[in-house]
Amino acid sequence: MLTKLSLAGIKNRFKDYLVLLTGLIISAAVFYMFANLATNREFVKSNTQISMASQVFIFGMILLILITIVYIAYANSFLLSMRQHDYGLFMMLGAKKNRIGELVFIETLLIGVISTIVGIVLGIGMSMGLSQILFNQLGLTVHHFNALYWPAIVTTICLYVGLFLVSGLFNLAKLVRTPVLKLLHIDDEVSLPKRRPLVQLTEIVAGLLLLAIGYIAMAKIMTLQLLAVPLALVTITLGSYLLFSAVIVGAVELLKQTNFANKKLHNFTLAQIMFRVRSYTRILTIVSLLFALALGAISVGAGFQRQAPQMARSTSAYTMAINDMDKKERNLVTQLNDTHTLTYSQKIVGNTVYYNEQEFIDHPLPMLKSRQALNNGSLKTLSIAQFKKVALDDMDFTGLVPKIGQQKSEFATQRDFANLNTATTHTVTIIRLNNVLAQRKILDRLEKMQQQRFPAPAMATVGGFQTYKMFNALFSGLQFMGFFLGFAFLAMLASCLMFKILSGANKDVVRYNMLNRIGTRRALMKQAVRGEILTLFALPGVLGIVDVLFGLQMFKPLMYHPYEMTGWSILIFCILYGVYYGITTLIYERLVIPKEQMNG
Amino acid sequence: MQKTPVVSVSGLHKTYGRKNEQQYEALKGINFTIDEGEFVGIMGASGSGKTTLLNLLSTLDTPTSGSVEVNGQDITGFKGKALSDFRSEEIGFIFQDFNLLESLTAKENIALPLSLQGVKKVEISKAVKEVATTLSIENLLSKYPTELSGGQKQRVAAARAIVHRPAIIMGDEPTGALDSKSARDLLDLMTDINKNQHVSVLLVTHDPFSASFCDRILFIQDGQIGQELKKADNNRQTFYQEILNQLGTFEQ
Repeated sequence: MLTKLSLAGIKNRFKDYLVLLTGLIISAAVFYMFANLATNREFVKSNTQISMASQVFIFGMILLILITIVYIAYANSFLLSMRQHDYGLFMMLGAKKNRIGELVFIETLLIGVISTIVGIVLGIGMSMGLSQILFNQLGLTVHHFNALYWPAIVTTICLYVGLFLVSGLFNLAKLVRTPVLKLLHIDDEVSLPKRRPLVQLTEIVAGLLLLAIGYIAMAKIMTLQLLAVPLALVTITLGSYLLFSAVIVGAVELLKQTNFANKKLHNFTLAQIMFRVRSYTRILTIVSLLFALALGAISVGAGFQRQAPQMARSTSAYTMAINDMDKKERNLVTQLNDTHTLTYSQKIVGNTVYYNEQEFIDHPLPMLKSRQALNNGSLKTLSIAQFKKVALDDMDFTGLVPKIGQQKSEFATQRDFANLNTATTHTVTIIRLNNVLAQRKILDRLEKMQQQRFPAPAMATVGGFQTYKMFNALFSGLQFMGFFLGFAFLAMLASCLMFKILSGANKDVVRYNMLNRIGTRRALMKQAVRGEILTLFALPGVLGIVDVLFGLQMFKPLMYHPYEMTGWSILIFCILYGVYYGITTLIYERLVIPKEQMNG
Repeated sequence: MQKTPVVSVSGLHKTYGRKNEQQYEALKGINFTIDEGEFVGIMGASGSGKTTLLNLLSTLDTPTSGSVEVNGQDITGFKGKALSDFRSEEIGFIFQDFNLLESLTAKENIALPLSLQGVKKVEISKAVKEVATTLSIENLLSKYPTELSGGQKQRVAAARAIVHRPAIIMGDEPTGALDSKSARDLLDLMTDINKNQHVSVLLVTHDPFSASFCDRILFIQDGQIGQELKKADNNRQTFYQEILNQLGTFEQ
């Protein structure tokens, strides 16, 4: 009978359970996605050239486990708050405490198991979809990656079911110990943050200090080595928490003194934030961390993606050299955008390839200003005299020969060149283009055609494209990890915020109903909702961006320009975040803002 | 001298339920007026239609037919902004469950209607102080609702109801959750506000003691106004007896 009653209770609050389950499922899915990379040693080894990678993954895993623990604790308190009134009522009607405890335990565990299993299935699906998209869009080649990976499944199940077992036991203990009357009226209790300026000041100073230590630790990764990661994790987490706690209370107190507070519903919004500050502080810390992780991972992914074409530009003055371009190849070349092409004639006598000097005078072959990687493809043109002096041994020039094994290149005057007695005149066309990444499919086909026509054993073609392909293969794993984890963290962040916000809706329904009764315009109530949720979104967003800006220091040893793509990734990320903010407020407004009239 | 009515209700019907479902007629044609400065009570048993009537008068619900005029405006057609503005400017509510926002201090709760109307900070402070002095709750202003007793909460709610000088105060069983002393204090307070500040009061109650503070009582039964009692020159005790007698006849 009791089981039936408690099932009926679930049915009545199906919407709330849906929120709870969705949140947990996404969390489990994301955890699985991360575990899939982290527990796959083969994958990590074969895709990163960095010895530290697998340790970094272990720290990432620890961080994610911590986040998961806080998340599940949240979910559990939400579950408990939904159920304690019901269970209090059952006890008042005479149900035995032990029986109630049993029910609570089973319910918690059941929710845990269901969400874990569905979450893993979703995680497998998401891994599959996301990896397909990444492979296709970015031209990555990644080895040893399986969307379905058993060790990851086992890890996820162990962690989640374990955590839910603990939660279940906690709920059991709590319900059995709390007096019935308190269970019935637990919703009415409120806690107010106390105002202690000295403590607040200490919190701000300590928070900033801890953040600074964390940021410095990340910048000094070369000296601190592996120690930098856990040090930064701990200090940044603690620092964010202290800072949020002090800054929110302080800012709200300050705002309350001003004229701003007395206008419209501002006072109400401020009070809402103040009342929830304690639980907000925790969630804001987590969200800022997730924000930083997601944005950081995507920035790093994008950085590595930029790195390969950059390296390509820095190793050669042109993207590709095509010998004796035929009709098909010409067609393909005309399909390329934003290209510069130059064609030179060649005549072969014995071991020597002759070039027409005049052609090089009219259209000099550009050379790299320097061969340093940071040069990023700036070019210079030389006079023919200089060219003969310095460039004859340059790879960019020597590589132009048709691939038959000629060893010497020489210049001839226009007349001499015309008089050279050979059957055929060869040509070589160099193409230089800016966006290798976007046009890599055409370049790939061109290269294949050249290889078929000139089957040389060593290097098939010369030019930057070759280098690009080499480095792209090298960085593929890192890019993949960056983007994959970035999107996984983003999903986790979304579910975390959504969950926190929706779980507060029950209490807000009552509050907004009151406001409606005393004649608050709907527009004002909407403003209040938007203001409150904006705080939840904006604060961790700002700190998250700061975290990333400092955190990218860690990648200085690995990348030329860790910050090059940061602006773009922040912009794109903020747009996504903004869209998500819009959706959340819309849902929340629908949930809590009453109609002006009962049947209107 | 003919007084202008603050509230005038005519032919008010309210039917619940859709057309082809089972319908329930909560109000079956109600007519009455409340004059400026009057203290009117509406009495009736549970299910008689009291709350429905109050919801219609305060625009929380729309009537099926009939009209309600407050301060000369027909309020049944109001929508959107006009609706909320009407509520926040013309009506002061006192509810049984106080309806205070527990996240705001007493002062902020009282100031809310004025903030909604965009009144300046200085004026808000002044008005709140004034009303707090009238209701002797100056020392409670910085407290949160959870720190107040039921009687204190209802005083704060009353302060919020009158701070913006509404045309009429509507009380929905305001003494319902109070002990007898606090209930009496509140009723004295409402009488005081009514007499000295000339605010009309409409009190919905099923409690004869509360009702005895009114000038006039409308008895509502099965969705219709059955009887009307006037205090006239009687003192409150006599009026109380009269109400009890009247209720007695209903039960037979």
